[in-house]
Amino acid sequence: MTLSQAVTLVDTLARFHLKGESRQYFLGYLWWVLEPLLYVAVFYLVFDVLLGSRQPDFLYFLMVGKLTFIWFSKSVNQAAGSLEANKGLMAQTNLRKELFPLAVIHQGVYRQLAVFGFLICFLLMGGYLPSVAWLWLIPLALLQAMLIAGCGLLAALLVSLRRDFRLVIQLGTVFLLFMSGIFWDLNAIADARLRDGLLVLNPLANLIDCYRQVLMLGEAPKAIRLIWLLGESLLLLIPAWVAYDRLQFWIARQVVTR
Amino acid sequence: MTALLTLTDVSMHFSREADSRYAVFGGINLKVGAGECVALIGRNGSGKSTLLRVMAKIFAPTSGSVSWAPGVAVSLLTLGLGFRPDLSGRDNAYLSCLLLGLSRDEATQSLSQIEAFCDIGTFFDEPVRSYSAGMRARLGFGTALMNRSQVILIDETLSVGDQQFREKAREALERELAGDRSVVLVSHAEQQVQRLCQRAVLLENGVIAAEGSPDDVLAEYAATIGKTP
Repeated sequence: MTLSQAVTLVDTLARFHLKGESRQYFLGYLWWVLEPLLYVAVFYLVFDVLLGSRQPDFLYFLMVGKLTFIWFSKSVNQAAGSLEANKGLMAQTNLRKELFPLAVIHQGVYRQLAVFGFLICFLLMGGYLPSVAWLWLIPLALLQAMLIAGCGLLAALLVSLRRDFRLVIQLGTVFLLFMSGIFWDLNAIADARLRDGLLVLNPLANLIDCYRQVLMLGEAPKAIRLIWLLGESLLLLIPAWVAYDRLQFWIARQVVTR
Repeated sequence: MTALLTLTDVSMHFSREADSRYAVFGGINLKVGAGECVALIGRNGSGKSTLLRVMAKIFAPTSGSVSWAPGVAVSLLTLGLGFRPDLSGRDNAYLSCLLLGLSRDEATQSLSQIEAFCDIGTFFDEPVRSYSAGMRARLGFGTALMNRSQVILIDETLSVGDQQFREKAREALERELAGDRSVVLVSHAEQQVQRLCQRAVLLENGVIAAEGSPDDVLAEYAATIGKTP
């Protein structure tokens, strides 16, 4: 299979899956935006209405953080189960195994484009003025897509080794939900070393903070933080790529004969 | 005869709960020549499907070697390759064609041929979840015929649909296989094996127990089954 055929196949698998999924629900494609918004509503109710957050513009702050986090968490969790979900196909064809998690990750990209569109409209309605800095949204989204691809490919590989990793990955994304500054501000950490350490160790926290800087403050993110994000994404992507390249048969055997 | 596919001393072990090195088969030596149709016969669980997957490059053997002639495409002929119930027959057929390695244009062009072969009328544009088992089989067979590989591996998938469609499917398959394509056919249908194959191989207790003309090997298989208590 040529690269162009692989790209076509991943794109078609993603689009057809989304089409099939939307047909299962009365509200169809609307769920792409409704589902993350319901999560935001729940968090807003708990942290602002009930607990009284002191964060200015908390709703916008929460939306930028939560809507970008959901892209990551949903894509990685779905990618983790993608090899198992395509067990039947894997038993019948010798397709490259990474195509399955990549198709799932690509679905997430389509969904997130709609979510970003909604987020921008919401920020504009909230009085946030668009600036040149908003263009940084494009490299940030690309970096997030790379990070998701690295994590998603490795997650699928781990689940093909042992199903137990599925639970570990689900717990891991819950841990990241609390550690990435979604409903609290990382900049409120008084200890600068601790704050910087968290930004370095958790690329999602770094990403979400950069998104807020761009969309809410209209500022360009610091180059060093983007370089960190790129480095960390590549650190996940390169070993994942090498592993898939070497373990094609092993993956098929693990998944099909389980 | 040029061998398109050669298996040399191939063995396969799987890890099972009761046995970490369960031997599916071992010491398999087999050659498939250009234009040849070989039947693979054996009881359920004898490893026929696993052997086809080794030939189709889906599994690597635990030991031994499998070689394919340069540039030769080998694939399993499968019904309903990854059919998604919420998509229409048309969408599923298109997706199956891409999975078979066809380009976007080739897949689009194949749709009218598949639609005509399936003969399921307006259902072709309805979600597959609304299909009867026979309609699914028709769609599956129609898309499987788009497989253009030189070596086709068939795993007991020919008896589908009603009597009329089975006849149509048999004719279509024999027409497709009439050229210089090679076939490895797993089948329990004696007549089919006798009509289509020049050679047969009996897989029993993880080894090749007999190899030769379909009539001889089928007789050996019948005797083997007869011996079973």
